[in-house]
Amino acid sequence: MGEVALNRLSKRYPGSSDFAVKEVSLTVADGEFMVLLGPSGCGKSSVLRMIAGLEPITGGTIAIDGKVINGVAARDRDIAMVFQSYALYPHMDVFDNLAFGLRRRDVPRPEIERRVRNVAAKLGLTPFLKRKPHALSGGQRQRVALGRAIVRDPKVFLFDEPLSNLDAGLRVTTRNELIRQQHEIGTTTIYVTHDQVEAMTMGDRICIMDKGEVMQIGPPLSVYRDPANTFVARFLGSPPMNLVPAVVETNAAPRLRIGGIVLPAANWPADRLHACGGKGLFGIRPEDIYEASPRPGDDRVRPVPATVIAVEPLGAETLLLLSIEGTAEEVTARSGRETRLRPGERTTVMLDTAAAHLFDAATTRAIERTTP
Amino acid sequence: MEAPSHLWFGYVRRSPLILFVLVYTIISGGPFLWVVSMSLRTTPEIFASPYTLPTRLHWEKFAEAWTRSNYSTYFWNSTIVVVTAVVLLTVIGAMVAHCLARYRFRGSRLVRFVILTGLILPPQLLILSLFQILLEFDLYNTLTGLILVYVSGHLAVTVYILEGFFAQIPQDLFDAARMDGYSDFEIFRKITLPIGTPALFTTVTLNFIILWNEFLYAVVLLTEDDKRTLPLGIMHFMGSHQLDVGMLATGLMIAIAPIIFLYALFSETMIKGMTAGAVR
Amino acid sequence: MTPPGWLSWFGLGARQKADVDARRAAPLTLAMFLAPALLLYATFTVYPVLRTFWNSLHTIRPQNIQEFVGLANFTALLFTDPVFWKAVANTAIFTVVATIADVLGGLLLALCLFMGAPMAKLLRVVWFTPVLMSYVVVGVIWVWIYDFDWGLANLVLRSIGLGALQQSWLGDPHTALWSVMVTHIWKWLGFNMIIFLAALYALPSEVLGAAELDNCGWFAKLIYIIIPMLRPTIVNLLVLSFVGKMMVFDLVWIMTAGGPLWSTETVSTYVYKRAFDWNTFDLGYPSAIAVLWFGIILIFVFAMTHLLRSRDRLEF
Repeated sequence: MGEVALNRLSKRYPGSSDFAVKEVSLTVADGEFMVLLGPSGCGKSSVLRMIAGLEPITGGTIAIDGKVINGVAARDRDIAMVFQSYALYPHMDVFDNLAFGLRRRDVPRPEIERRVRNVAAKLGLTPFLKRKPHALSGGQRQRVALGRAIVRDPKVFLFDEPLSNLDAGLRVTTRNELIRQQHEIGTTTIYVTHDQVEAMTMGDRICIMDKGEVMQIGPPLSVYRDPANTFVARFLGSPPMNLVPAVVETNAAPRLRIGGIVLPAANWPADRLHACGGKGLFGIRPEDIYEASPRPGDDRVRPVPATVIAVEPLGAETLLLLSIEGTAEEVTARSGRETRLRPGERTTVMLDTAAAHLFDAATTRAIERTTP
Repeated sequence: MEAPSHLWFGYVRRSPLILFVLVYTIISGGPFLWVVSMSLRTTPEIFASPYTLPTRLHWEKFAEAWTRSNYSTYFWNSTIVVVTAVVLLTVIGAMVAHCLARYRFRGSRLVRFVILTGLILPPQLLILSLFQILLEFDLYNTLTGLILVYVSGHLAVTVYILEGFFAQIPQDLFDAARMDGYSDFEIFRKITLPIGTPALFTTVTLNFIILWNEFLYAVVLLTEDDKRTLPLGIMHFMGSHQLDVGMLATGLMIAIAPIIFLYALFSETMIKGMTAGAVR
Repeated sequence: MTPPGWLSWFGLGARQKADVDARRAAPLTLAMFLAPALLLYATFTVYPVLRTFWNSLHTIRPQNIQEFVGLANFTALLFTDPVFWKAVANTAIFTVVATIADVLGGLLLALCLFMGAPMAKLLRVVWFTPVLMSYVVVGVIWVWIYDFDWGLANLVLRSIGLGALQQSWLGDPHTALWSVMVTHIWKWLGFNMIIFLAALYALPSEVLGAAELDNCGWFAKLIYIIIPMLRPTIVNLLVLSFVGKMMVFDLVWIMTAGGPLWSTETVSTYVYKRAFDWNTFDLGYPSAIAVLWFGIILIFVFAMTHLLRSRDRLEF
């Protein structure tokens, strides 16, 4: 019982004429782990705080289990939140930090003891129960913040970039622990982050936002494979998808022209190609550009002449920066551990057009592929 | 200044809050408005009905206070003393603060200790001996003597505030200036003073307000009427003309006018200045 | 040929490595920076303090005739001077009550503004005004307010039907001290308010948000979160206020001069009177009072600071 439904949720901060959140609609199923992903300032934290009740709602509704909670006070929403700065009570020890919310709700003493000790044990905090926050490390404080939310046993968990203040190694281990905890407890979770790795690994579904609007919602791999627009295409994936302007020719057999290179455009239905008015953006991910064809014989893998501009050996793989011949366009390609290519060398790379994307250059929206 | 916490306290009932706020505003601001009103009325008018607004604005009372009741003397004495003292305090206080903040030298800790203990010295510990000392130096009942006492007495708080600020100026600026060949005095003048201007403003404001209103030292160390500063002048007037409430009110207005004028223009600076010593 | 070493005192001569170190200066330069202040300070602050200590062990008559009396002043003070003890009692009551009142009051005012009173910006400026006014101005105004016949205090009482409670506020030994106290508190509330307001705005809003989610209404937030987190500020202001009130002179002198019947006599007004307003002239005795009182203030400040300081750093 923890379904969260946002219906055309909007937020405008006083003193600003712009809307920070523009008619966001989203439904998080009971028990689902939903990640709100986006760059700074995209409105994801504002959405989270409105769900929590810490920020007044300008427009639209928020409903939990079908009941609209717009006017309900934060403390009555049965929601727990883990803040980016952890927001522990600095003058109370760990036990009191965990117990505070329960005490304020008149939970009986023995019950509080039981629940706090339980959660502390689960998170490895038992040795620290008598310590105050300033005597804890960052990772320990983060666990206390998590414990404080878990001990409340709420309908919904809200996380506001909880891992950003941790160092890299700790971030990975904590991330895995959070995933484990969430599966164990099974409570609906809404998680805000700007880190796409967190989003891809943790979410059942991700909701990508930019400038207050929802760009796309879906399971991580689906969104990765089928980005709805250029923003999503470039936001997910590191190094980001290559986007190259292409002329769409529909007079005869549909084709894409990039400089002097011609590529087939069989993936996309003719009427949609027509609608984009000749100007498209061809998208191909670095991992779909090869030095040698991955599927010899498949004529969807096309050779493209290019000049190598830079070679970046990363150890486990190599990144190649290439300039497509006859154009000024540069693309990044992923290659294996060792490559014989040198900067300045001219070579031919293989583009897997079966995995390529096409976007309308004017609207930035993806042109849907014909379903095979 | 929207309270960022407005949502946290949104559920406080508004009407008791507003009532309380209204009452306290009247309590804190009311007496002052009353004085303004009284300063423009004659004493008989006031005694007839003390709390009504003036029917005629008797601006001539100010001229009268200025000339007949000697308020001009008091005002000028105050001005001379306070302006001189504040200038001296700022200059020599800044020099000490710069020195303590910037240079390492043997005895710096001692100097700092000695000066900062001045923060907690009660005036009573000083005035009796100062009385003797000024008599011995022939500075008793002189504005000069009072100025010197004021500067010495407020050096501690000035240095405390300025040093705190000066110490935050990044050392890199000074290293670079040194390597460029600047002398120590040039460094003081061209780096510390310009960058430290906000703090200087703060101490000037603080010292100005405190010294303009200062009473205890003045009452012990000045006795002749033509040397009196404004607070003393008012007290004297109060003693001899207790019933001339109208004239007293006008005198009060003359005393607070400079402060109120500056406050209206620079309220933020003055608030910050007055509380600078206490905010860490 | 290397220049003579004595030149370095003037900041001249061969450039040594230490010269480039911006943290060192020639001794003469240092002297010029420090001399004016130190000279003045030594003459008009350090010397007087030492001299007061000296005085306290002597009897000082006119023409500066001194007579060493050892601790006689102190013993006389502690054991045979009822006025001193009355002054101490008055000062103690004044200090304790007024300190608590104006720190609590300042907190209350700051909370009002923090919690979203309308026009908070303007109110802040208005409420701070009494702090800027001289004690003389404040004193005179309140003497008028306390006037029996036409003063505002009695006027208000009469108009709301409590005319029976009218007093000669400053003339009655039972009410005089409290009346002066009210005035003193009135003057300083704004000061504490500003400091508390700054501290409130410095509170991390996420912690308040967490408290909100933990089912805290505004009152619970105040008790469990805000006040504990404000503890360092509260302690600082208590100490500051305490010291200021222990030394109170100006307002008392202006409003009642210690009367009526010693009911508002404070330690500092007593010092003044013994020095300048007594039938025998002796600066030694009041110096002893000043020294003793200074010692007592120091002890209390130490005690307060150590007892009230929170043990842990409230790092946030």
